[in-house]
Order: sequence, then C-alpha cells, then structure tokens
Amino acid sequence: MAAVAALPDDVARVALDLPLRANLTALDNIALIPLYQRHFNAAESTQQAQAMLDQLGHTGIAPLRDPDMTPAQRFVTQLARALILGRSRLVIDRPGAMLYDVPYPDFIRQLAEQTQSTGTWEIYDFSWNQLLYSQAPDQE
Amino acid sequence: MNFLVASIESLGAKVTGWFTVGYDIFAFLFRSLLLSLDRATWNRATYDVVIKQVYFTAVQILPVFLGYALVISWLIITIILTTARDFGLTAFASEMTIRVLVLELLPFLTALFIALRSGSAINTEVALMKVNNELDALAHCKVPPMQFEFLPRLIGGVISVITLAGLAGLLALLLSYLSIYGLSMAGFDAFTQILAKVFNFKILFGLITKCALFGLAVTLIPITAGLETPKKLFMVPVSVLRGMMRVFFAIVAIEVVSLALKYI
Repeated sequence: MAAVAALPDDVARVALDLPLRANLTALDNIALIPLYQRHFNAAESTQQAQAMLDQLGHTGIAPLRDPDMTPAQRFVTQLARALILGRSRLVIDRPGAMLYDVPYPDFIRQLAEQTQSTGTWEIYDFSWNQLLYSQAPDQE
Repeated sequence: MNFLVASIESLGAKVTGWFTVGYDIFAFLFRSLLLSLDRATWNRATYDVVIKQVYFTAVQILPVFLGYALVISWLIITIILTTARDFGLTAFASEMTIRVLVLELLPFLTALFIALRSGSAINTEVALMKVNNELDALAHCKVPPMQFEFLPRLIGGVISVITLAGLAGLLALLLSYLSIYGLSMAGFDAFTQILAKVFNFKILFGLITKCALFGLAVTLIPITAGLETPKKLFMVPVSVLRGMMRVFFAIVAIEVVSLALKYI
C-alpha cells in the first residue's frame, strides 16, 4: 500500500489516513476546498458543497460532524471532498477499512453512477477481498 | 565518572531541547508574520475565521471575565485605599491603583485567563489534529493549515488579550474613581490629571505591546507544542502539559521584563 501513499499530487485520495476535520460539519469540510483553493465566497462554496452531497444522494448529512456520522456517511463526505478537488484521478484506498457497515463494492458503484465525475476511479484493496468485487450482482 | 558523563549528557540534551523549542517557536512566528504580510492571505475566508476566533476567545467569555475583573479590582482597590488611609498616603491612592491594577495585574490575569481557557483548548486541538492526520488531510486537499487554522488563532489571541485587558482596565478605572470620590464629579479633574500623568505615550505603548506579547504567548506556544506532538494519542496530555508550562513561563517572563524596563 506504500504505492498509494506515494501517488502524485494530481490524484484525489479517499483513505482512512486522510480524515475529515473533526470540528467541522460535513458541508464545511467539503466547502473548504472551493473556499481556500478557488477563492469562492462562503455562500458559493457552501452551495457547491451542498450540490455535491445532493449529487451523491446524501443531502441530509450536511450538518453532521465526523463523530456523529456512520462509516458510510463519513465515506460519502470524504468522497465528496475528493470529488470537489476536481482532479482527474480518484483513488479509493482500502475501502473495507472505512466502509465496514455496508457491502462496499456495490455501495461505491452506486455512488459512482450518481456522480457526474469525468475522471477515473481506482480502488486499491487487499488481494483477499477480490472475491467481494467479483461477487457483486451487477458486475460486468 | 559514568554518573558525571550521564549528567552532562542529560543537561546537554535538555539545553539543546530548549533551544530547539525556542527556535521552532520563533521560526513559526516568523512564518506567520510573513504570511500575514502577504495580501493573498487576506481573503474573506481568513477574515471569517479570525472573527470566529475573536468571538470564541473574547466575546463568549465577556460576562464571566468582566465579573471576575470587577471582583478582583474591587478587592485590590479596597486594600490599596485602606492601606493608603492608614499610612496617610491617600493622595497617592489613585495613582497606585492605576499602576498596580491597570498596568500590571489586570493584563497579567487576562493573559492567564485566556491561556487557561483558550490556550489549553488550542494546544489540545492542534495535538489531536496532528495525531489524527487531519493536517495531512488538509495538505492533501491543498487547504493551507497556516492560513485556515493557525494564523487566525494567533491574530484572535492578540486582539482578545488587548481588548479584554483594555475593558478590564476601564472597569477598574471607573471602580477606582467611584471608590475614591463616590458619585460626585468633584474629583474628576484631579483624577483625569493623574490619568494623563500615568498614561504617557511610552507607558501606553508599553502596555499595548505587553498585551500583544501576552496574546501571542497564549496562542503561539500552544500551537507549536501541539505541532510537536508525536503521532500517538497518549502523547496529547503530555503535549498540553508541556505547552501550558511554557505558556506560564512565557507570561511570567514577559511580565518580569516589562516591570524591569519600567521600574529599574
């Protein structure tokens, strides 16, 4: 997994070792990116963050802080934060460590279908979890 | 012989450690100053965080703080007035009250108050951010932690200590006047003359500088102590302990230097 940590800067990562800011809500965690990186004002940044959560089908988690989220909600927030970075590659690093409350290959596939992301999504997982991906009902 | 070598090594390690800590603090301060001079830093987002910091550090505690300043001031004024009357030095009571309370005691207590309330919280939060990899996550997202997390806390701390010490000082002046002259306007001229005598430009500049240094000490030291924390959760209390001890020593050092410059 050292290869994942050594990925170049233009890769957006969703990983257990890249947590959310614990004292910010899901919405604020996502809004930080347009606010500080693209210098949008607070209202526009919040609007963009909310639109991202809406797109992922998790509108309701906006006011939740990290400790109040379920693992799946936390993952969605981390994913939204990674997507709003607008990088061409998205790497999901060991999803099983973050998504232990849902059947995760299907959950991630469902999220990927909901987004309008044009970049590539890559999942890095342990080889012994390969079976989970091949067992997925709508696997092509 | 071995004992002597071990002692010298231990002492050397401690001295090197102190120098490293001092260097880290001043290097961080220098980077913060550079960043604060950069126009790009001052966007709406940074202003918002600074305002939030001032609110949490100063505005939220205002009623409790003013109550505490009122009680302390009343006690000290009463002690000074009683002692001055006993020794027949009533004429000097106003000046003594202003010098002891407004110039020395209230700014010092304000710094201690902010250090205990906000400094410890900042130290814990930064240490937890470090341990939980939140700073790495911010860096991955290219959100500058200095601009988003640290600089607003430094500025908030400085503004809060200056304004709270100023408010406490004003309250003490009012209380002092009322204690000496009561509700009459008879002593207004004499009192304002003493104020003008005590608060010359040099003293006023020194007071504001001292409060600004207090404000820096109660935020800068906890931030750097938090950033030093190894990535182990059980080290967070140790980090806070170290940070708060350094804050205490820094506050005392600033006060001692200020007194020495003024009276020696």
